[in-house]
Amino acid sequence: MKLLFKLEVPSDPQLTTVVRSAVKQFATVIGFSEEQCRAITAGLDEAVTNIIRHAYRDRHDQAIHLTCRGNDTALELILEDAGGPADPEELHGRPLDKLQPGGLGMHIIRGTMDEVEYQRLPGGNRLRLVKYTKPKNSEEKCP
Amino acid sequence: MPVRVSARQVEDATILDVVGEVDLHASPELRKVLLDVLREKPAPHVLMNLQGVTYIDSSGVAVLVEGLKTSATVDGRFALYGLGPEVREVLELTQLLSVFEVYENEQESLRGHR
Repeated sequence: MKLLFKLEVPSDPQLTTVVRSAVKQFATVIGFSEEQCRAITAGLDEAVTNIIRHAYRDRHDQAIHLTCRGNDTALELILEDAGGPADPEELHGRPLDKLQPGGLGMHIIRGTMDEVEYQRLPGGNRLRLVKYTKPKNSEEKCP
Repeated sequence: MPVRVSARQVEDATILDVVGEVDLHASPELRKVLLDVLREKPAPHVLMNLQGVTYIDSSGVAVLVEGLKTSATVDGRFALYGLGPEVREVLELTQLLSVFEVYENEQESLRGHR
C-alpha cells in the first residue's frame, strides 16, 4: 500500500519542528523503527535547513514544498524550492578532519538517507531523499 | 518543544540545563547563553546537561563545537552529559562524539571521570 502526503511550509525556522513531527509520524506509520525514524527526521530537517539558509538566504517568507511517499519497503521525500542554486562544494560537505562549527548538514543528510539526489530546476531546486526499511537489494522498489 | 536553557552553580562548575529541541530556530539562543557563561569569568568550568534535549541538528552541534573551542581559548573546561540517542547519533554521524568530554550523568561530569 502506498501512502502519500504533501506539505507546504514557509521557510521559517520556527516551523521546522512541524515538518519534523509530520515526517517522523509518517515514517512511523510506514513501519520504520524508532532509530530509523530519528535518522529520517535528522536528514529531512537538515535538508529543510539548507533550503532556508542557502537556497533562500535566510528569508523566512518563501515556500518549501515537501512530498512524502511511502510503502513498507521505502520512504521517499522530495523537497522543492524556488531559491538559488546549491554550491557544488556544499553538496559534498566539508572534510570532517578540522574542528569547526559549520558545514555538517550534508554529512548528516548523506549519513542518514540511502539515496540523495539533487537537481537544479528552472527557477528552483529539487532534492530527493530515499530511506529503505532494509538494506537495498534489486527486488526493492522505491514508492 | 522550544528550547529552554537555565544556569546553576554546583561546586566550581556552571551547569547549563538544556531542555527541548536545539534546531535552527533555537540554536542562536543556546549559543548566546553558552558563550556568555564561558566568557563570564577566567578559566570557566561549564557542564552542559543534555538529558532534556529531544532533538539537535547541525546548528546545535555547531554551538557545541563553538563552545568547546571558546573554552579552550579561555583556559576553561567544557563537558557534556546526559546524551540521549538523538544527540549521540548526530555527534557520531559528524564524527564529533570523541572530540567532547562526555559523561553519563552530573555526578560523573563533576568528578571529571569518563
